[in-house]
Amino acid sequence: ELTLKYGAKHVIMLFIPVTLCMVVVVATIKSVSFYTEKTDQQLIYTPFTENTPSVGRRLLNSVLNTIIMISVIVVMTIFLVVLYKYRCYKFIHGWLILSSLMLLFWFSFMYLGEVFKTYNLAVDYPTVGLIIWNFGAVGMICIHWKGPLQLQQAYLILISALMALVFIKYLPEWSAWVILGAISVYDLVAVLSPKGPLRMLVETAQERNEPIFPALIYSSAMVWTVGMASPMDAQRSEHGSDEEAEQSGGRVEPERRQPRTFPEDDVEEDSEFIRDHVLVGKATATGGDWNTTLTCFVAILI
Amino acid sequence: MAKYQDSHKFTMNLERLPNEEKLSLCRKYYLGGFAFLPFLWLVNVVWFFREAFVKPAYTEQLQIKTYVKRSALGLLLWVAVLTTWITIFQHFRAEWGEVGDYLSFTIPLGIP
Repeated sequence: ELTLKYGAKHVIMLFIPVTLCMVVVVATIKSVSFYTEKTDQQLIYTPFTENTPSVGRRLLNSVLNTIIMISVIVVMTIFLVVLYKYRCYKFIHGWLILSSLMLLFWFSFMYLGEVFKTYNLAVDYPTVGLIIWNFGAVGMICIHWKGPLQLQQAYLILISALMALVFIKYLPEWSAWVILGAISVYDLVAVLSPKGPLRMLVETAQERNEPIFPALIYSSAMVWTVGMASPMDAQRSEHGSDEEAEQSGGRVEPERRQPRTFPEDDVEEDSEFIRDHVLVGKATATGGDWNTTLTCFVAILI
Repeated sequence: MAKYQDSHKFTMNLERLPNEEKLSLCRKYYLGGFAFLPFLWLVNVVWFFREAFVKPAYTEQLQIKTYVKRSALGLLLWVAVLTTWITIFQHFRAEWGEVGDYLSFTIPLGIP
């Protein structure tokens, strides 16, 4: 009974950042048209276009895109875990720094530009430069060094939202859905199965009594039941995959973005679905706390 | 590597830091702000406000207070400068041609 109560608190504390992230993304999508404009440009991860005439062809392309995407992600995840296992910390560290650099500066620059365009504001280079520099530098400090916990979390949420937005723009619709499904499955598998790379990552970190990289793992202020020396918290394993793929230029956590439906943005229910999926995955990651998992499953069903 | 880990063990909560570390952190944030980072000063002020002014006195508190005050001062200065600059810019933008323009598209209100 105690575990159940404890688990519920976990769930709630995960809800908040995920919801916040959603809010940011939705707000942006609704107001800034840039991110929903159709473009023929696509990420290199999804080379098959969706502008094909027949439904069957389109479906096939989506599946193909998904396979490519998923394999990239799986490879990245495994690569990351291997690195971690063999203590190539410097490499991981450098990778994370580079990817967060790019996110914090370049993407936020784009984002800001689009927001200004939408509201028809004229801004000068020096001001923009200052804003981006401040945002990025403080972000780097907070995430990779020391900073107030809430600010760190806020930054991580914002980064997720930013990535989600980029992803939304450049990923064709049907592919997005298929990828989303596949990612959810992969996430569950990777975390639940004893051989899953993400689970191994968590367990290795536990064994070594190390706090996991902050940008690698999103930390809310929860304490693990299974004895960890440092107060580590629920993991966003997606974050791990994000950072690694981010380096090569642009994969996003599908869980945290808004998949688009055809023309309208019927986003609310989609986000629920995604969020719940994330929650199940996350809850399970907290050291096999099966009661929590069950609670989550029940919550999803309701 | 160990250092990295340790620093992150403590990040979560300022309370758990020993006073010297708090001071050092405050100072670093203060110094960092000189790199054109008024935001850093803002974070410094907000984060250490309780430490500096609300908590009962301890040895390092006086110094922390100075840093927080100076950060606040620097912040205000920046805000003033930025506001002035933005006002000037917005007002005189049309008359300057394209000097220092970020957005090449302007508000369509009959600007030459």
